Amino acid sequence: MSSSMSRLLNILSQSLAAVIALKLRSFFCILSIAIGISAITIIVATTEGAFQKAFDIVDIFGPDAVLIVGGSEESRAISRRMKTLTLADADAIRASFGTAYMVVPMSTVRDVAVSYRGNRYSSQAIGSTNNYSVAWSWPVVEGSDFTEEDLKRAANVALIGNETMLELFGTENPVGKFIQVRTIPVQVVGVLMERGASMGGGNLDNRVVMPITTVMKKLQNEAKYIAVMRVRFEDVENIDLRMTELKEFLRMRHRLPDGEPDDFQVFSSKDIIKFLVALTGSLIVFVGIVGIISLVVAGFVLANLFHLSVRERTGEIGIRRSVGAKKRDILYQFLGEALLLTTAGGACGFLLGFAGAKLLQKLADFPIYFSWKAFVIGLMLSWIVGIVFGLQPASRAANLKPIEAIRG
Amino acid sequence: MTALCLMENVKKTFSLGNDVSVEVLKGIDLAVDRGEFLAIMGTSGSGKSTLMNLIGCLDVPTSGRYLLAGREVLGLQDDDLSELRNTHIGFVFQSFYLLPYATVLENVLLPTLYREKGGGHIEKRAVELLHLVGLEKRMNFRPNRLSGGEQQRVALCRALMNDPEIILADEPTGQLDSKTASEIINLLAEMNKKGKTVILVTHDAAIAANAQRIIRIKDGVIINE
Repeated sequence: MSSSMSRLLNILSQSLAAVIALKLRSFFCILSIAIGISAITIIVATTEGAFQKAFDIVDIFGPDAVLIVGGSEESRAISRRMKTLTLADADAIRASFGTAYMVVPMSTVRDVAVSYRGNRYSSQAIGSTNNYSVAWSWPVVEGSDFTEEDLKRAANVALIGNETMLELFGTENPVGKFIQVRTIPVQVVGVLMERGASMGGGNLDNRVVMPITTVMKKLQNEAKYIAVMRVRFEDVENIDLRMTELKEFLRMRHRLPDGEPDDFQVFSSKDIIKFLVALTGSLIVFVGIVGIISLVVAGFVLANLFHLSVRERTGEIGIRRSVGAKKRDILYQFLGEALLLTTAGGACGFLLGFAGAKLLQKLADFPIYFSWKAFVIGLMLSWIVGIVFGLQPASRAANLKPIEAIRG
Repeated sequence: MTALCLMENVKKTFSLGNDVSVEVLKGIDLAVDRGEFLAIMGTSGSGKSTLMNLIGCLDVPTSGRYLLAGREVLGLQDDDLSELRNTHIGFVFQSFYLLPYATVLENVLLPTLYREKGGGHIEKRAVELLHLVGLEKRMNFRPNRLSGGEQQRVALCRALMNDPEIILADEPTGQLDSKTASEIINLLAEMNKKGKTVILVTHDAAIAANAQRIIRIKDGVIINE
């Protein structure tokens, strides 16, 4: 080890000793930094979570797919989804759009009680056509998808999600077994692969997918209307054009006069990402401002406490200088103290932010994703605060004249 | 043989701002040989503290010459002055200046942190020094558990740690009762017998009487030897 290196280590050991000795100062510095860093950590984790979620969605959704949702934008906003889409619309689209290689209508019933031999669980029933697995690029890992025949007959058959399987069957093989969906006995024909991450709150792996005819007739008592429709196009490059065509086509079919708003909405994967970014964006801005303000405040707290500390410790600075400490030794010692404190504050802030983010995820269903980035960004910011706000008091300490420090 | 400290016509002027300045030292000529035990006496405001700061390289003269161990001090950079203090001078101050959050042993080791050349066995040497002043059993104590006299003995060990030629003691007994004070003076005399040059700054004639040579300073000049 070179002698200047060991000198620096010696000096940093002095910083550490002071940090440990001056407990009250350390506590306030660490606390104030931790608050700022925790806010920043949440932002980073949320931003990353939003991106992660966006990628997941594009992945699941498919870049060549659009989603048509019944009801106008206004009715969606107040969460009263009007029923406007029909099975006939789906058939018409299938017939009229040459490049639409897949048109899958879907209906959803939330909070459906399912049970198997006394094991009860609350799931959601999804009505689909027979190519659900292909339409959503979601492999069936056991058994097989239901058939067109099942669809026509409105058969009591189902694909179940991984979580639903575990809750109802445990380790038992569910294929061929009968479960109760509400009061209807339904035969399990296949199990969907585990998807893992949650999307927009609902757990993806908890679902019972049945022929849409079965869901409409037997669960919804509905003859005509469906909730959503998924259309996949062969020509991804023309997806914007296809969306416009779809809108015009549906307006015609629904006989909407000019000036009347759409009674449906068409989303591409891009729209879903935009929506998510808008949702998380405003919060990111808010927490971001809070985070930056609290970091600046933390910086001033640090600078202030260090100014006080330098004044209180003029004697210490004086004796160090008189036994041979150079100006930069003093500078490094005080800067070292600031950096040790902000690093500790950053680490505490990260833990605090981690806990806060988890809480947000639980309470407000936030997309949260932690990676090394959140930690590194927090650490970098705390170092920047340490250097920016520690430098001035530290250089004041270093530039104290030895005779004045000793006299003081 | 040249003197260890050699001052020729040393002047020190402090600027008070607004073009007002005070000449605190008005031409000092002083030679201190190796192994001397010297007392510098004077009332407060006489310039004795300023002289001590110059001898100890805590400050530099405004004009004149000052050779410390053969090296010209005037015109040296701050870093060089720090190195000179680290290797040549051991300070003992009136108010001890021990680090409150460090142990006795760590306080004694303080000068070694800023040494250019690392040396082995520094802890062994520090313990030996503490043994010399009878405090090795308290080396893991904090200074606040020691009496004033004990604290000053620790400060003395710290001054000796880097084995400097000169021990510079500024009113080392100012905060001690007379019995403890004489113990400290005896220790200084003992250091002197072992070859250290001891320079004692005091206003107390009884304390100064322990030195081999006494110089008196008044209004920035040495009035008699």
